[in-house]
Amino acid sequence: MAYSELIKNFEKVRSYMRDFYVYGFKGRNEFDAKSARIYDDEYRRVKAWLEGYMNSYTDETGKKVFISIDSRAVFHNPLYTAFKTKSFTDWDITLHFFLLDILSDGPATVGDCVQRITEVYLKDFPAEFPDERTVRNKLSEYEKMGILVSRKRGRNLVYSFSEEFRESPAWRDAIAFYTEAMPLGVIGSYFPQSGASPFGFKHRYLLDALDSEIVYDLCECMNESRAAELTLFSRRKKQENTHTVYPVRFYFSVQSGRQYLLGYHYRFRRPMFFRLDCLKKVKALETEKDPERYEAYWQAFDRYLWGVSPGDHTLDHLEMLIHAGPDEGFIAERLMREKRHGTVEQADGETWKFTADVYDATEMLPWIRTFIGRIEQLTCTSDYVVRCLQDDLTAMNRMYGGDTGAV
Amino acid sequence: MLFDEYYGEYYACVSEILQEALKGTLTKEKLIDITRRRGFAETVLTIPGHLKDGSWPLLTADLKTALRHPPQHPVTLLQKRWLKTLLDDPKIRLFNVPETGLEDIRPLFDPRKIIWYDRYGDGDPYEDPGYIERFRLLLEAVKQHRRVQVTFTSHRGRQNTWTVLPYRLEYSGTDDKFRLLCESDRQRYRTLNLQRISACRLLEAFDPEEHPSPLLQNDSVQLEIVDERNALERAMLQFSYLAKKTERTGENTYRMTLQYRREDETELLIRILSFGPVIRVVEPDRLAMLIRERLQRQSLCHFP
Repeated sequence: MAYSELIKNFEKVRSYMRDFYVYGFKGRNEFDAKSARIYDDEYRRVKAWLEGYMNSYTDETGKKVFISIDSRAVFHNPLYTAFKTKSFTDWDITLHFFLLDILSDGPATVGDCVQRITEVYLKDFPAEFPDERTVRNKLSEYEKMGILVSRKRGRNLVYSFSEEFRESPAWRDAIAFYTEAMPLGVIGSYFPQSGASPFGFKHRYLLDALDSEIVYDLCECMNESRAAELTLFSRRKKQENTHTVYPVRFYFSVQSGRQYLLGYHYRFRRPMFFRLDCLKKVKALETEKDPERYEAYWQAFDRYLWGVSPGDHTLDHLEMLIHAGPDEGFIAERLMREKRHGTVEQADGETWKFTADVYDATEMLPWIRTFIGRIEQLTCTSDYVVRCLQDDLTAMNRMYGGDTGAV
Repeated sequence: MLFDEYYGEYYACVSEILQEALKGTLTKEKLIDITRRRGFAETVLTIPGHLKDGSWPLLTADLKTALRHPPQHPVTLLQKRWLKTLLDDPKIRLFNVPETGLEDIRPLFDPRKIIWYDRYGDGDPYEDPGYIERFRLLLEAVKQHRRVQVTFTSHRGRQNTWTVLPYRLEYSGTDDKFRLLCESDRQRYRTLNLQRISACRLLEAFDPEEHPSPLLQNDSVQLEIVDERNALERAMLQFSYLAKKTERTGENTYRMTLQYRREDETELLIRILSFGPVIRVVEPDRLAMLIRERLQRQSLCHFP
């Protein structure tokens, strides 16, 4: 098939974009492409869509392609562009403009549309005329999309535009903001953008855009209290498997860029987290008869989560003493805003105590390390956590040439 | 459906071409120019060809169209559902959007179903009427390029009143806060937390061409990553909000170069520390020194 900038199936390009963006050190032969030509085509497409953001370098093992974006310097997520590349037929685009032009003059039946297309629009072209079914299908498709409405007149359906939505200037500002700050923001990018955005964004994980279809499908399951069949792709094992769950909540990280679904796993009979970037497909199943049961279950479950690990569902108790001098009020402020389900209290004039009961205290280690330089004491019912921090400090002292004997 | 040609760049591009044709002002050069501007890198090889060879019979050979009206692009149900979803978010009050027009529309999701589990707990007070009023005024100031007088409390608790030129309102999803990026009399680039601003007043307009938003210089840090405990994948994703380049340097080691703003250095340092010994700062020396200082301070803390 000849190369085209447009694609039929988004899933195909999703993993390439992710690899170019997240990794960026893989050579052509390290991609899972069935052939070198497939890699070349995907690379060419992504390069065409993301002109200015694609970079490359060459080392002894060949050319490496990567996407590099300073999210603070862009005001619109460039990855949304990938959602504006769906392929279509010649009749799709032609009928799009013809039909909306016809309906701008007022309501019309399928017959009216066919007549005007053949007698007016295609009068000067050698193109063949569309049959009634093609026109009816396009009108019906636009009705499902909410652009058109139909009503019966005798035996015919009469189509017209659905009620117009007027975008006030306030909506335009809201759209500019939420397009970049809300899940499924790609839909906001479908509104026409006028002028420079008054908003900028810091700590913006652009990559979430690529999982929008998955989020959308899961939202539809949640809206209708449906179970879902998830098809997962394990990057490590390079294999697919399926799980049937009741989708309960999304857990999104604003510090690591990861996004998860929390679902109640019917077969394993427990809540499980699934990374959205590992989900290939979501299939809506039957309606759950007792959704309140899982809601109540979630409320009890969430109280002891630090992040997204339920460990073995038993609790770890952790206590940490942090030093903060008299003029270091910002440390107490940090603890207060970052404590999640934990508690913070002042132990003495220069010490703050953080306490938490969580399913998996190992998940807290990255956060605990951010206090290196101030940790006066760490105790945890999981010995591994304390030992791990001790070992890390020893290794870091060695790495940075510090006093290993002191640790 | 989320992925649909209706929202595609090709439709938008052809729409603009047809608008020009309707006005009778379309030329071959303009057609190419619109395609280059609206389309992707290779779109110029497809759209003009389809319009010329009649496979998309929308333009005649003399670049006229039989359409009678400027092409429309009505808002779809999907878009309305997305807008309806926004009405459930506390921040929507900042925008004064009309509450009518979406009554019969079902939202796409319930924002309460999303847990932002590591978002900081001291976000801006989006329901405070005073905050909302100041936000709206500052938004107008940014959009209309108006000077603005702001009274705010500094980190040290001192109250200041400045006249500033606002560039942009910057939102951080991690902090759940807005900041005003602006220029003050003393400094070309300032960041003011909206939460710290207690009063503001619109002043006269300024010429944005005389006072363009400054292009900030990035600093660069080079990190060595040892791919243990899934460190590579975690680092790649965690730092993906910055411009970066990664190279494989050995069987299990990688070099990652990040571009960052000097004002964000402490924050970056903390993020690097969170990885422990699987990431090492190679350069600049200044940043490595800051980590060394923290390690030395830790050795005085009687732990472990």
